[in-house]
Amino acid sequence: MNYIEIKDVVKRYSGHTALNGVSMSVPKGCIYGLLGPNGAGKTSLIRIINRITHQDSGEVLLDGRPIVDDDVTRIGYLPEERGLYKKMKVLDQIVYLARLKGMPRSIAYSEAMAWLERFNLTEWAGKKLETLSKGMQQKVQFIATVIHRPQLLIFDEPFSGFDPVNAEQLKQEILRLNKEGATILFSTHNMESVEAVCEQISLINHSQVVLQGNVNEIRRSHKKNIIAVALEGDAKLPERPELYSILPAQDSTQETMVKLQQGVNVREAIAWLNDNCPLTGFHEILPSMHEIFIDTVNNTKTSQNEEA
Amino acid sequence: MKKLKLIIAREYKAMVMSKSFILTTMLMPLLIVVCGGVPALIGYLNDAGSDVEKVAIIDESGRYGAAVTDTELYQFVALKGDTASATNAREFYDKSSGDLAAVVVIPAAVDQGAPVTVYSESTVNISLKDHINRELSDTITRAKLASYGIEGLQEMIDNSTVDVDVKSVKWSNDGSENESSTEIAMVLGMVLSLFTYMFVLMYGAMIMNGVVEEKTNRIVEVIVSSCKPFQLMMGKILGIGLVGLTQIAVWTVLVSIVMGVCGSIAGVGFGIMGDNSVMLGGAAQQAAASVDEDTMASIMRSLFSVNYAAILSCFVLYFLGGYLLYASLFAACGSAVDQASDAGQFTSPLMFIMIIALYAGMACIDNPSGPMATACSMIPFTSPVVMMIRLPYDVPFWQILVSLLLLYATAAGTVWVASRIYRTGILLYGKKHGFKDLFKWVKG
Repeated sequence: MNYIEIKDVVKRYSGHTALNGVSMSVPKGCIYGLLGPNGAGKTSLIRIINRITHQDSGEVLLDGRPIVDDDVTRIGYLPEERGLYKKMKVLDQIVYLARLKGMPRSIAYSEAMAWLERFNLTEWAGKKLETLSKGMQQKVQFIATVIHRPQLLIFDEPFSGFDPVNAEQLKQEILRLNKEGATILFSTHNMESVEAVCEQISLINHSQVVLQGNVNEIRRSHKKNIIAVALEGDAKLPERPELYSILPAQDSTQETMVKLQQGVNVREAIAWLNDNCPLTGFHEILPSMHEIFIDTVNNTKTSQNEEA
Repeated sequence: MKKLKLIIAREYKAMVMSKSFILTTMLMPLLIVVCGGVPALIGYLNDAGSDVEKVAIIDESGRYGAAVTDTELYQFVALKGDTASATNAREFYDKSSGDLAAVVVIPAAVDQGAPVTVYSESTVNISLKDHINRELSDTITRAKLASYGIEGLQEMIDNSTVDVDVKSVKWSNDGSENESSTEIAMVLGMVLSLFTYMFVLMYGAMIMNGVVEEKTNRIVEVIVSSCKPFQLMMGKILGIGLVGLTQIAVWTVLVSIVMGVCGSIAGVGFGIMGDNSVMLGGAAQQAAASVDEDTMASIMRSLFSVNYAAILSCFVLYFLGGYLLYASLFAACGSAVDQASDAGQFTSPLMFIMIIALYAGMACIDNPSGPMATACSMIPFTSPVVMMIRLPYDVPFWQILVSLLLLYATAAGTVWVASRIYRTGILLYGKKHGFKDLFKWVKG
């Protein structure tokens, strides 16, 4: 069951096309990564899901039916460029934003207090926002995003502006919300976090989806047949050009990277190594999302240049 | 609707609770009272604090010296003419060892037009000169009239001096007569017109700054993911408009209280003014002197003859219409820029129109029913200011109706245009935009 279904969405601004036939399915309860370089169209897509702007053509379905304005109460959105009213008190601010999302005042109030306590901000509830540190302001912003228990959470670069400790706390909160049933749409450049938390991704480049699917499957399908081999002691890996080529050492680890020749399968190579070297261990190296991201973006660039 | 209410409430609360609002609301009337009252008070203290000064009179004419009577400030001492003359005035002054403030010499030929001279080491106070001038002129005029030996001449002259008082009376439809005052209508119109002008500019700027603040704070994207940009814009405009009405209400109450208090102690007030007008010179003195009980009563009657309820409700209607019209445009200006300091290129045409409206209004004071005034009170961009000038002069009802309809229709139009600019502008950062972009956004 897909919670969001985006079908062939096109959005044009005067002069350029921000989204050109984008389709995407986000299963219910999934943590979904929306990736892409700056200006690719991620924010345009997120704004359409949030009903801030409207698509020129195509469909956006939420929970199986076309999305309507009232659905925004079921969405929590943390934009990349975010802020709050500096002169407003922390608690008032959270309650105000919660009520804008349709929460009754008394519930918004008690929920806000509970969240402030969870983030150790209780004593700041009556203070003006401008008196808080930047990290605390970010936490207040996070509370304001999730307080109305949205079924869909959209985070645009959620970890920017957080120190590692707070970023970890934030990540745990996001995972907890996901466990409680929220579907999460992540927009980020931070590829490590994508590998760590996202089950599925869409990579958008130049207004189009260029890569889509399950993270593990994508990594496997992009594998370059590289395995890391560890040998006993100072033993050196013999050259076997017909089986593999040895890649130049990148760091001081004991492992040696070898790239298998085309047509050679892993089992074959390992069998030979096992027979001929003091093999202590091996594992296949899957490309990181970071590499796949850069490769894919560069590939689309070159193919576009060729077209032009 | 619920969201709009929430936004209005937030804007209202944020503004009304701010220190600057509380200060201006409470202090503005005080400031006006202080501005008006301080000069009078200073003059009063100035007079009250000083000692009575002695002034010597050398009366060479031998007849008119006694005519100059003592005042609260000056005591006049006559010096006998056989020992004293203009030539030895200095001796008397020196001999007095600082006891004398001045020496007045009345020449023998004073009734032939010879000037009276006041000698002093310091600059002669203008109120002293005025006092001597008045008392001597009166006495000498009387003496001259008496010298003709015509019986009852004084009475004849008094009777033939006529000061024509022009009183305006307004006929109302029910046949009753109301004493009206053109001056009061004029002042009232000017005050209301300036008020509208000031308020629209002040609150327009507030709206614009609010919009720019939300944009630079980057809260705007958070808010519009919960409500429509139109709701956010209207919420701000209406919320701050309510703040304006609150301010008007508070000021109306304060002014009514002050007027009530002033009315009950009017006598005392005018007494003080009468005293002080000495320092304003002879003309004011005479004016103050002529404010007798009759004219006071007529001023009060005229003040109360004005239909405040009708004017105030018209004022509120025009104020709201003009406010909506300009505030929405100011909001659009704010949405198109990243910082308030960049907004000048968009706001200057608005300011220009407002200033034209003000000048048109001031020009209409002389002829509030003329074609120019009528036209400007119909054009929506100038009508809120110009109609204020005309209101106290009983504008035909149909004109008010048409002008209000035009104003509100145009305001609805500017709100629509502004909302188109706003919803695009608030989400665009970084690039500077021109009028061309705004037109593009309006077209969608």
